[in-house]
Amino acid sequence: MTPILEVEGLVVEMTRHGVAFRAVDDASFSLERGGALAIVGESGCGKSLTLRAIMGLLPSGGRVASGRVVVDGVTLDTAAGGRGRGHSQRQRMSIVFQDALSALNPVATVGNQIAEAPRHVLGFGRSASRQRALELLRLVGIPDPERRYRAYPHELSGGTRQRVMIAIALSSDPAILLCDEPTTALDVTIQTQILALLAELRAERGLSLVLVTHDLGVVSQVAERLAVMYTGRLVETGPTGAVLATPRHPYTAGLLAAAPNVDAPEYEPLAIPGSLPDPLRLPSGCTFHPRCRFATPECATTDVRLEPVGPDHEAACLHSDELATTRAAGNRG
Amino acid sequence: MADALIEVENLCVSFAAEHGRLLRAVDDVTFQVAEGEVVGLVGESGCGKTTIAKCIAGRVAPSAGTVRFEGRQLGLKRATKDRRAIQMVFQDPYSSLNPRMTIRQVLSELLRVHRLVARADLEERCVQLMALVGLPSDALDGLPSQFSGGQRQRIAIARALAVEPRVIIADEPVSALDVSVQTTILRLFEDLRSRLGLTVLFISHNLAVVRHLSDRVAVMYLGRIVEEGDRESVFRDPRHPYTRALLASAPRLHQIELVRPTVKGEPPSPIDIPTGCSFHPRCPRATEVCTSDTPRLERVRTSAVHFAACHFRDETSPEAVQGP
Repeated sequence: MTPILEVEGLVVEMTRHGVAFRAVDDASFSLERGGALAIVGESGCGKSLTLRAIMGLLPSGGRVASGRVVVDGVTLDTAAGGRGRGHSQRQRMSIVFQDALSALNPVATVGNQIAEAPRHVLGFGRSASRQRALELLRLVGIPDPERRYRAYPHELSGGTRQRVMIAIALSSDPAILLCDEPTTALDVTIQTQILALLAELRAERGLSLVLVTHDLGVVSQVAERLAVMYTGRLVETGPTGAVLATPRHPYTAGLLAAAPNVDAPEYEPLAIPGSLPDPLRLPSGCTFHPRCRFATPECATTDVRLEPVGPDHEAACLHSDELATTRAAGNRG
Repeated sequence: MADALIEVENLCVSFAAEHGRLLRAVDDVTFQVAEGEVVGLVGESGCGKTTIAKCIAGRVAPSAGTVRFEGRQLGLKRATKDRRAIQMVFQDPYSSLNPRMTIRQVLSELLRVHRLVARADLEERCVQLMALVGLPSDALDGLPSQFSGGQRQRIAIARALAVEPRVIIADEPVSALDVSVQTTILRLFEDLRSRLGLTVLFISHNLAVVRHLSDRVAVMYLGRIVEEGDRESVFRDPRHPYTRALLASAPRLHQIELVRPTVKGEPPSPIDIPTGCSFHPRCPRATEVCTSDTPRLERVRTSAVHFAACHFRDETSPEAVQGP
């Protein structure tokens, strides 16, 4: 079966102080129908821009310099806001942002915001689109939908607002839901509820998900595939379980080792040495090499690419075997 | 417990809300922090943890109750030395530093105003402070905008340390930072504690961070402490259903199965606090008594240092949180 979403060699250029740089550099991945992929990385790694580029919603100053986005076999026009080829394919995708309060229209009731797509995109009548909005409010688990229909965003709690965002995203009946840090602004007990909702939507409606997050703890619950990004490049992709259990890129291993463990207070988290490089002055070769304990002189000169390291598992590292053996030895000790 | 350095007793803070109603941000909170101890204050947004911090630091006036430091009651008006003794570090190092002042200006202004060092020793002390937080001395010439988030948080900590405090109140100090940087700041807190004997009140919503750093933990819900105890009692054998829910929902790296939410709905508005136990509308264990009787924070039977505000605190957890 063809994947529902394919991204090939995506390059997003941004400008800062008049200087262009590659904020997303040659990203390729695909998403199976009904599958869920998580893109993980730290701030500024290009994970959100990747989502926005797919959606055609790049901020001003950003452009897709090259690459293809293919939805359901149709290549999209990737120019920002492109209304050309693939417009109807783009409508098969919706996006959910982190900050629901700034993404929602403050002067329209949530009901009207949810009913907008059914009325104006799907061509429903006035009462049919209202019915549809009420159904969606119910679907995303908002109690008392009749009353909430008339509420304004500021009257709702953070969790409810995020549910409204998801309802709006679902209102155009998408096949793919792109989620940009959907639970980052929420408390953990609410986060659990939203993640459960996303899982339910996948199971019941066959939605495909792309989830962008900085939190590896969220990823493992929701997505069966994982892509790790660093300085605009994908450094590792694979089945979530395999990547978390046997990371093959030192950056992935570093992220995993850096998080304190709520179940093991004696575990000493290890920091990744150094700091994120300036995107205008990226290190040569593997951009992670100045921070990497496996780095050798070749790392500064070789353009590393994703190479297979296991079943369905790829890493962009010259020393991925060494990393695997070191970790195995560490685990035995 | 050793002598308490900070004692908070029956602290209440209310703010005026719309239509003449009262928002109870902090409701009858009592706890102590001993000298040299790290106490973690945990809870979700709006539970009152920051308000407590501000009361202790003298930035918000309590509506009732007291804050004592070394046995002396402290109000909003404080002697300079008491003010210096308790310093805060905030979540957002971007907005808590003056963007137009170099780090040297920030630090030397403090040192001069508080007459902490002789003029001739200013430079040396600035360099010392930088070293204390793990920054090179040439960082003194930089403006805040030239530093990364983690470095800025170090600068904010150096600024707090400049006035030689006894207590640091850290309000979500690592929440805005990337994980790889978080760790270095946590290390810095551990290091400062062992080197300077600092007492730390560490406020966070991140349970993993709190478990890693704290000796004791207090869990807050809707303005009250619902559970308190030494770290391991609270994390290994939580007795309040809210603590259990928090622990179950904490993100875990190898949690492949989806966590089923155990807690219904969302926290109610602090303007409209439910009767009885304020957690009862969301609680899986709630019974009739929970809707009418407010449980007090009381000792659990099996421990001398573990307290919970739940009518069923002596039941061991039905779905005990399992380690990996």
